[in-house]
Amino acid sequence: MTLNERFQHLNLMINFTILVITGFALSYPTAFWTSPITEAPAGMTIRGFIHRLSGVAIIFLGGYHFLYLIFTERGRQIFMDMLPRWKDAKDLWETLKNNLFINRPAKVIKMGRFNYREKAEYWALIWGTFVMGLTGFILWYEVEWLKHFPKWTYEVARAIHFYEAILASLAIVVWHFYSVLIDPDVYPMNWAWITGHLTEHEMKVEHGLELERIQASQKGELVEFDEAASSGGGRIYPLSQGRDQPSSLHRLYGTVRDLNEAIKKWRGN
Amino acid sequence: MVYSFLPPGESSSMKRAFQQGHAGREWSVFLFYVLVVSIVWIGPKVVWGADNSNCFGCHKDESLSKQNALNRKVSLFVSEADYKSSAHGSLSCSECHTQILDDTHAAGGKAANQSVNCAACHREAEKEYKKGLHSKLIMKGTERAAYCQDCHGKHTIRPSKDSKSLTHLVNISKTCSRCHSDKEFVKQHALGAGLSPGELFKGSVHEMTGEMTCTSCHGSHNLRSLIDPQSSIFRSNIPQTCGTCHPEITKQFVDSIHGVIAARGRSDSPTCTTCHGIHGIKAKIDPDSPVNERRIALTTCPQCHAAERISKEYGFTRTQVKSYYDSFHGLSYRGGDTFSANCASCHGVHDIRPSSDPKAMTHKDNLQKTCGICHPGASENFAKGKIHAVAGISGEDFGEKVVGWVRVIYIILIVAVIGGMVFFNFTDWLRKTIDRRP
Repeated sequence: MTLNERFQHLNLMINFTILVITGFALSYPTAFWTSPITEAPAGMTIRGFIHRLSGVAIIFLGGYHFLYLIFTERGRQIFMDMLPRWKDAKDLWETLKNNLFINRPAKVIKMGRFNYREKAEYWALIWGTFVMGLTGFILWYEVEWLKHFPKWTYEVARAIHFYEAILASLAIVVWHFYSVLIDPDVYPMNWAWITGHLTEHEMKVEHGLELERIQASQKGELVEFDEAASSGGGRIYPLSQGRDQPSSLHRLYGTVRDLNEAIKKWRGN
Repeated sequence: MVYSFLPPGESSSMKRAFQQGHAGREWSVFLFYVLVVSIVWIGPKVVWGADNSNCFGCHKDESLSKQNALNRKVSLFVSEADYKSSAHGSLSCSECHTQILDDTHAAGGKAANQSVNCAACHREAEKEYKKGLHSKLIMKGTERAAYCQDCHGKHTIRPSKDSKSLTHLVNISKTCSRCHSDKEFVKQHALGAGLSPGELFKGSVHEMTGEMTCTSCHGSHNLRSLIDPQSSIFRSNIPQTCGTCHPEITKQFVDSIHGVIAARGRSDSPTCTTCHGIHGIKAKIDPDSPVNERRIALTTCPQCHAAERISKEYGFTRTQVKSYYDSFHGLSYRGGDTFSANCASCHGVHDIRPSSDPKAMTHKDNLQKTCGICHPGASENFAKGKIHAVAGISGEDFGEKVVGWVRVIYIILIVAVIGGMVFFNFTDWLRKTIDRRP
């Protein structure tokens, strides 16, 4: 991931967390974990303000991401690679059969740049942002909304906003946290959201096809590519998709590399 | 203390005298007094006359005492200086102690009769007193009911305008508390455990005015029982009692739904004290006040509107409270948001009326204005639709049903999606863990 993408993720992570806390603080005003908000002076009023602020931040982030997908080469490629395909369903099914020892011996599943796990989560996020944004604005501008629509639509928006929030929060905890934290292949944490890179092992088990494709293209293009370096957890996922012209993104490589080095130093290896 | 209650022995003998006149047994008590007093008193005295020096000749002695029928020591000391400065200072002793007519008292021939008759002069006060609770209790034989001297004192009575007087505004609560804050007394008379009225009154908004005391609401000589329909604190009379100082509020209240039911004598109907408290009424800005904006929708209105017995009896639903708690207003309010609407924001305070009443804030013609207080620009459409809706697939209202279905669909969706994720991830984890078995 480029630095830009990692900042998008960081932005989403912070604002999503704020939204979850400030949102459920309203639904459960007497819960023990709400007390720091309810006991603060004007806590509930500030809570509402912060919730809306973070909501707007995420909507802006969504807009930014949309432009990113349209106007950058990398973004367009991400979009294309992210589109769901029949293979994703098959991958999911085969993985389940592997897991349940139905496939004996287990099939080696090679997945592309984004696997079914990531695609499901990505599109769920897009969908969730859309639903939460829409219902959130209805609740926010209730006077305007109720000029044109009956009150029950407002109540429906309120119910959807609440249940979609539960669904989204649980999805993050169950699906996302498993993928990036608990999954034995990445435990204790997938560092990609900080370093921008996956290890070769992670690439192999989760993006086998993509790894093969990169290795094939790099063998042809990058003369200095050192395969041995990757076995030690080195960087093997180049940001370039083999494009010829150096774009503004290429200039980010230096920044990314520096950051990677800094993090490595900080980690002590 | 110069003033004190009559010791139990004396009061009971007096009570019996009151009830039966001087029966034979009373004379034996009197003879006992005579015996005791004759031992203490020496020398002939002349009692009759405006000059009290004869009386004080003996009664200035602080150790002067006698034994009463219960063998308790009773002081017979009277402070001359205190008496002289009292309202009755210019009267002779015998004007009140009319039974002590001659030298025989001093000689030990005749005991003083305690039943000083204040009514001989204070006719009006006695008339009032006879109507009141304290005299009725005496008639019924309660041991410790207040006589004139229990509130006014004995030899030190001062006019109630005198700040040293027991019945001066600032002292009345103390005077009443001598019995009503006495744990033993309260227990004997089943006046309720917990804080006494005097303790509750301390720090109340009424006490802080400095112009209010027990008698302001309870009355004084004619103080009546709570259950006496003529009492100022009888349930239906409370709005009028409070209205002597708060006439505008009482006027609003008597026309409200609560006031109308209260006037019918329904014991469940709220009156001033139901919401505001009784002795310890606090200003509404006080967080302890039941009408504080942070408590009104949590305890004050729900005490009836979420109560099973009352809601059944009067046929109103309890869903108002529940639906409010689940609404945005209620949720934010429960978290302490005072900008969020509470019951009173929409229904009013003292002039709450049923929504069928065209004057009600919640009448359909007034709702747009009511909502507009907080939601400027609220349209006509804004005020349409059910407010206290409880979502459910079998709801009465179309909106209730839709929201109910949305909830059902979402719960199914959540269980299916999240359940599927949990299942899939668990198999994934299990397989990978098994593969890693050392």
